[in-house]
Amino acid sequence: MKRTLIVLTILIAALALAACGGGKAQPTKASAPTQASQSLQAAAPTQTPAPAESKAVTLNGAGATFPLPVYTEWNQMYPSVQPNVTINYQGIGSGGGQKAILDGTVDFAGSDSLLKDDQYAKMPDLQMLPMLAGAVVPIYNVPGMDKLTLDGPTLVNIFMAKITKWNDPAIARLNPGVNLPDQPITVAHRSDGSGTTEIFTSYLGAVSEEWKNNVGVGKAVEWPADGIGQGVGGKGNPGVAQAVQSTPYSIGYVELAYAKSNNIPMAAMINAAGNEVTANAETMQDAMAAFANAFDERLTAKIVNAPGEKSWPIMGYTYLIIHMTENKDCAKTKALLDYIEWAISDEAAAKKAEELGYATLPAAVRDLVEAKLHEVTCNGQKVLQ
Amino acid sequence: MNGDIFAQVNLPRVYRRRKWVNNIILGLTGLTVILAGIPLVWIVIYVILKGWRVINLDFFIHLPTAMGATGGGVTNAIQGSIVMVIVAAIIAIPLALLIAFYLLYYPQTRLGVAIRFSTDLLSGVPSIVIGIFGYALFVLPFKHFSALAGGLVLAMIMLPVVVRSSEEMLKLVPKELREGSLALGAPEWKTSLSVILVAAMEGVVTGIMLGLARAIGETAPLLFTALGNEHYDVFGYIKQGIATNQSLWEIFHKILAEPTDALPLTLWKYAQQPYPERVEQSWGVALVLMLLVLLLNIGARTWLAWKRRQTHG
Repeated sequence: MKRTLIVLTILIAALALAACGGGKAQPTKASAPTQASQSLQAAAPTQTPAPAESKAVTLNGAGATFPLPVYTEWNQMYPSVQPNVTINYQGIGSGGGQKAILDGTVDFAGSDSLLKDDQYAKMPDLQMLPMLAGAVVPIYNVPGMDKLTLDGPTLVNIFMAKITKWNDPAIARLNPGVNLPDQPITVAHRSDGSGTTEIFTSYLGAVSEEWKNNVGVGKAVEWPADGIGQGVGGKGNPGVAQAVQSTPYSIGYVELAYAKSNNIPMAAMINAAGNEVTANAETMQDAMAAFANAFDERLTAKIVNAPGEKSWPIMGYTYLIIHMTENKDCAKTKALLDYIEWAISDEAAAKKAEELGYATLPAAVRDLVEAKLHEVTCNGQKVLQ
Repeated sequence: MNGDIFAQVNLPRVYRRRKWVNNIILGLTGLTVILAGIPLVWIVIYVILKGWRVINLDFFIHLPTAMGATGGGVTNAIQGSIVMVIVAAIIAIPLALLIAFYLLYYPQTRLGVAIRFSTDLLSGVPSIVIGIFGYALFVLPFKHFSALAGGLVLAMIMLPVVVRSSEEMLKLVPKELREGSLALGAPEWKTSLSVILVAAMEGVVTGIMLGLARAIGETAPLLFTALGNEHYDVFGYIKQGIATNQSLWEIFHKILAEPTDALPLTLWKYAQQPYPERVEQSWGVALVLMLLVLLLNIGARTWLAWKRRQTHG
């Protein structure tokens, strides 16, 4: 009898809870600004409506995985700047981030790839803001060879499967004195759609009309090397790195941050100005400076094959996507703008980014972004003074 | 004459042959048992070897540090997983038991057949599809990823597992028990709860454990619903709530309405990070996940054994 009662009570309680559960999400919509982010700072008075600055705010963002390490790092640092603001960024991919901000399920999105016209048409107030740039580097595995230099056309021809042997004259010409083996080249590439592939193919397309027309530029392409059985795919940066490291006489491409933190041999490139460069903070800055005026009215720019003397040629910007006008919760909007402003101007933040292998914005680009930030409105009012 | 014919057959030889065949087949079946066991043992040993180094108290009670740095923990993922599994269990278990009883009593009605068919279908739906469904249903309308949305999709994944296993277990209870209980004047609901359910408890709990293990190991649907959150900390929310005089409801709301992390989600995220420290931590997460499932199972079995001892003196 007793047990029956207990079981019944549990059942009823559970059902009641389940029912509440269904309804519980409701207030999220109606009062998300007040409820979800209400946990006021301990010191702040609780009863009086606190000014926007002292209210605890949680910002949710999602998108590109490329800048995830540095965003995570920044989000860890930010509470020491703004104790009331918690920023949660999740790497679900650029496409996922774009969809999320269009659905209105995140406060901001991260993306390496540009919004399409039809996406702007759906939400005209979306704005892409360049945050950082990152480099993609060719990585290789040739036993006994610890230095490799390539130029654009040669890299294209390797990935085109036109150069199929390591001792090809084109490679030999760029690497005098290096004992190149008479071995076929295995080409490793991403098997998943990726912003890294987009940057890499953008570069190949910028160097070669043939690549642009026959293979194309994008998140995923048909790799010519696959056609002759010399290609191998890997998922994500780790997949490509793994493929290269476990396949002698192979070449692939990964993000600089990945190659750096895992000590994978990277090739040097002959850039558009004809100089040999390796990927580092200086050569990345040089490429960004060379393209500082290349931004269109949407504040996006391609920065591959930069003409600067010391420019690293294979690079791309990563962006945050925010709303310019359709902002309802001004405390949140203010917190977001403050965060972005801090991220692009704070010295410690910049230092962290560079440590991780990213390049921070040149002053000219930072000014463009800051000007945009100052245009953002909430309920028709300018948010930043 | 017949006897002579039999005498001509060399009996010991036939026996020897049969014995031989028997031994070979026995050996083969034994081998397959070992083969079947190898992956499990291998996985367990491999995960322990790879994961134990990062496991310490900090790993359980601290939030993640920045990438590339050592130290820090995954308490956000552990807490998120537990919160979401509790939500899933609260919703799925009673519902699944009610459905199982319905299927037991009305197996051949049109509704019964339809329910059985649709639970089978539901268990066959890829979890990523359930995730997208959950996104459309529990995230989009509220414009907010949340632990609650994660719990709800996990409930949907758990439900068919528990329904079908509970139904099978309830069916095994002899009809006479039910008839006896009814004959003694017990109402149907009481018979169901304190005779049939109790008799089938062991199997039902096993089914629930299976469902919980399935739910706690899901990654794909949580991507669309729980999102992930390196700052999720139930104890932090409670502490903060008390410090700022929030009502119980507000704290509760915060716990369920925030995006949250989960162990498999963290495992998936960490494993593809460029930083070796993160990759190593992902093995630790795998180990914790494995231990958690193991703990659930052992806990349930101990409880059952303890109960059995109580009822049988």
